[in-house]
Amino acid sequence: MINEIFGVWNYWIVFTLMMIGLYIVISKKSLLKKVVGLAIFQTSVFLLYITFGKIAGGTAPIITNNSEEIYSNPLPHVLILTAIVVGVATTALGLALIVRINKAYGSINEDEISAVDLVDYHEKFSEKKNK
Amino acid sequence: MITEIIINAFLVSFMLVIALFIVNTRKVIFTILLAGTYSLVAALMFVSLDAVDVAFTEASVGAGISTILFLAALSFLPKEEVQESFNKNNIFALSICLLIGGLLIWASYDLPMVGNENNPVHQHLVSDFIEGSKNHIGIPNVVTAILASYRGYDTFGETIVIYTAGLAVFILLYNRTLKETNKSVKNEISKK
Repeated sequence: MINEIFGVWNYWIVFTLMMIGLYIVISKKSLLKKVVGLAIFQTSVFLLYITFGKIAGGTAPIITNNSEEIYSNPLPHVLILTAIVVGVATTALGLALIVRINKAYGSINEDEISAVDLVDYHEKFSEKKNK
Repeated sequence: MITEIIINAFLVSFMLVIALFIVNTRKVIFTILLAGTYSLVAALMFVSLDAVDVAFTEASVGAGISTILFLAALSFLPKEEVQESFNKNNIFALSICLLIGGLLIWASYDLPMVGNENNPVHQHLVSDFIEGSKNHIGIPNVVTAILASYRGYDTFGETIVIYTAGLAVFILLYNRTLKETNKSVKNEISKK
């Protein structure tokens, strides 16, 4: 019974974490918060993969002299190792973009940015009309 | 075995609590520090799931370098978010997330149980990798053997991705500083 509950518990929480990340990305207006939301989403996907690789009673996949030893699956570990490093690269790029946007618009709030764009557009439009 | 499962369940629930707090924080510094804590608990989680290499990468890169990058970016950015009220957009986002989350949880009943030795993931390739890393490559750590040898091209591609990202960050931020210095030089010249 306890095995059956906890056997899917990890999956449930991981899916909930994914959805929290997605919710932050969709609904929050602050661009920095969106990057944090992406990071949450990312880490939860990592957890899902590592959960797949787990074998109950196994050890970390480092070869010992004991030939009877059960090792957890090393393949998801390798995939996620690559993904973590690439994830940091994308986070850095996103943050650089945000800093640049803040420089150009004076804000990192989506609504304020689109308001500035709208004002610029109308100014250009009225200039053309006056000419 | 049972203790392992209980520790897992506790850590993953702790991550859920942290994520729920992140949704509502308005001071950006709290958001960043909570995100760092989230990564660190994820690293603990990886240790309990036998992924030690992933755990120390997550702890150093995910919790360390990421947090430093966020803090560095924060020094250029506003320190507090604009107050938002719960509106139509949030309900739209919430309903989408509930729908997808519900589907995923429904689908989770078809997923194999955590930690079962007979799961399809464990049936192919892996035994070859473990044998090969012992007999052909001679590295006791199987993850390193796969990363650097069997999947060497992946790792090579990864370095290209990181190089590209680094280049893009450099270009984005370099332009900014160049324009600033140009402006200040022009201002000084016009003053004279």
